[in-house]
Amino acid sequence: MNKAISTRLTFAVAILSLLIFIILWQVIAQQGLLVKNFPGSFKTIGSLIWWVSDPFFDNGPNDLGIGTNLLISLRRVLIGYSLAVLVAVPLGVLMGMSKLAQSSLNPYVQLLKPVSPLAWLPVGLFVFRNSEITGIFVIFITSIWPTLINTAFGVASINPDYLRVSKSLGASKSTTIRRVILPAIMPNILAGMRISMGTAWLVIVAAEMLLGTGIGYFIWNEWNNLSLENIFVAIIIIGFTGFILDQFFGFLQDKFDYSI
Amino acid sequence: MNKKSSKKSSSNENYSHLELFNLGKIFFKEKKFIDFRSKGNRSGFEAIKDINLKIEKNTFVSIIGPSGCGKSTLLNLIAGLQAPTSGKIVIDGQAIKGPGPDRGVIFQNYALMPWLTTIQNIEFALNTVFPAKTKADVKERARKYLRMVGLEKASNKFPKELSGGMKQRVAIARALSINPNMLLMDEPFGALDALTRSYLQDELLSIWRKNKVTVVLITHSIEEALLLSDKIVLMSSGPSAIISEEISVDLERPRDREKIEQDPKYLKIKMRLEKHLLRETRAVEEVT
Ligand SMILES: Nc1ncnc2c1ncn2[C@@H]1O[C@H](COP(=O)(O)OP(=O)(O)OP(=O)(O)O)[C@@H](O)[C@H]1O
Ligand SMILES: [Mg+2]
Repeated sequence: MNKAISTRLTFAVAILSLLIFIILWQVIAQQGLLVKNFPGSFKTIGSLIWWVSDPFFDNGPNDLGIGTNLLISLRRVLIGYSLAVLVAVPLGVLMGMSKLAQSSLNPYVQLLKPVSPLAWLPVGLFVFRNSEITGIFVIFITSIWPTLINTAFGVASINPDYLRVSKSLGASKSTTIRRVILPAIMPNILAGMRISMGTAWLVIVAAEMLLGTGIGYFIWNEWNNLSLENIFVAIIIIGFTGFILDQFFGFLQDKFDYSI
Repeated sequence: MNKKSSKKSSSNENYSHLELFNLGKIFFKEKKFIDFRSKGNRSGFEAIKDINLKIEKNTFVSIIGPSGCGKSTLLNLIAGLQAPTSGKIVIDGQAIKGPGPDRGVIFQNYALMPWLTTIQNIEFALNTVFPAKTKADVKERARKYLRMVGLEKASNKFPKELSGGMKQRVAIARALSINPNMLLMDEPFGALDALTRSYLQDELLSIWRKNKVTVVLITHSIEEALLLSDKIVLMSSGPSAIISEEISVDLERPRDREKIEQDPKYLKIKMRLEKHLLRETRAVEEVT
């Protein structure tokens, strides 16, 4: 009972704060308190409804529906991200298990990890001469580090009891990796994948401003049209999509939470 | 089962089940560049040395010693989880090269895989040791051993949903499911409350009687060792711990927890063990 009431209360507070925010935004914009011609919330909501009610039209690269652009961005992210996970997990396991792999690969990881992935964009364009592949490549570079580092850390800090059990049963190396190490480090892998996805979703918007098409390019295009309300629409959609993606990983992490 | 009994009866009893010859273990620090020249003794820590021991088939042997003397080290060597620095370990007349399913190991903190249910933990052991067995066979066998420790109702629970005593029973079932000839236990009941401990001790005894396994039990409880064992092995304080005494416990079985404490034989051995442990523990304290 109490819980139901408090949930409803939380919801009511959230709605109220949203209403206040929308009204304040509208008032400030209308009065020109910030800058002149700043779009108000009503106008923004109007265009949000307009974009969302017909999301998938296609009138050439500079006039795509917001849904079409979103799907383009999501496709790039999912391909680059999946490739990165496919590379990062085995490599992370290798780094966690072998001192040799650890000491030979770690310098590169430490050196490359702090570099903004956008620095790789010209490299990608030069090598691939294709903006689509370059976008995927940039996302690949973005996504690889958190998953790699978390996986390697997971393996290195695995409970030695599990390995001893496996060894005492005479399990082969491959059985130990598949049946013991991988499930044991699943929480670490998922934590890494969650961070990777978050960063990839941040980077794709910036990368697409330079690549053409995608939700990032949509923002760049609307800036050229000086249509700030459409940029707000894109921000809302990007935020919402990122939230959903993050929640998905949160859900997976809960499923694989072994903590006692 | 058939396989095991035939294996056991075919052995020519010229040798004991487990024999340790001049066993020693030195832990070397990880080599650094500077250490290259001083290879050998200086950088190592000698945990145990010159351990000689014979354990007969189907007997129950306890190992007692002051904390940190090297009991776990000795058990890990027998399990084949670590390699000895010197000496050798012979099982059924054959020097061991590493771990093997002829020895079931029970670890101090249960060591159940938290991502597997109770029954899956046992199935993991079975699948690893008997890869040729069908899924149904494995499941059937896992069930049988869960029933043996009275946990068939908890077969689909995860370790985090079990009490400490239940977890240890799963670990016992897992170790027994692979049908080992020898059970190696490292302070299996140390973390349990007194009631659960006595309950599991009784259970272990009945399992031991029914399954005919050789048990090597590490414990720090004199009462536990006296209640359960045929032989008690006393270790001296480390470093370079040795076996300082072997005591046979020729008390009649089944032993009654209450009555046994009035037995003069029991009291005599108990006194001897207490004296030894006190002396060795004092030795540890004087060093540190
Ligand atoms: N991997 C290792 N590297 C270096 N020293 C070790 C290692 N394992 C154990 N030792 C040392 O060897 C000695 C014996 O350790 P061990 O764990 O076998 O003692 P124990 O008798 O089981 O102690 P406890 O009663 O506390 O369980 C200790 O001094 C310990 O510090
Ligand atoms: Mg120990």
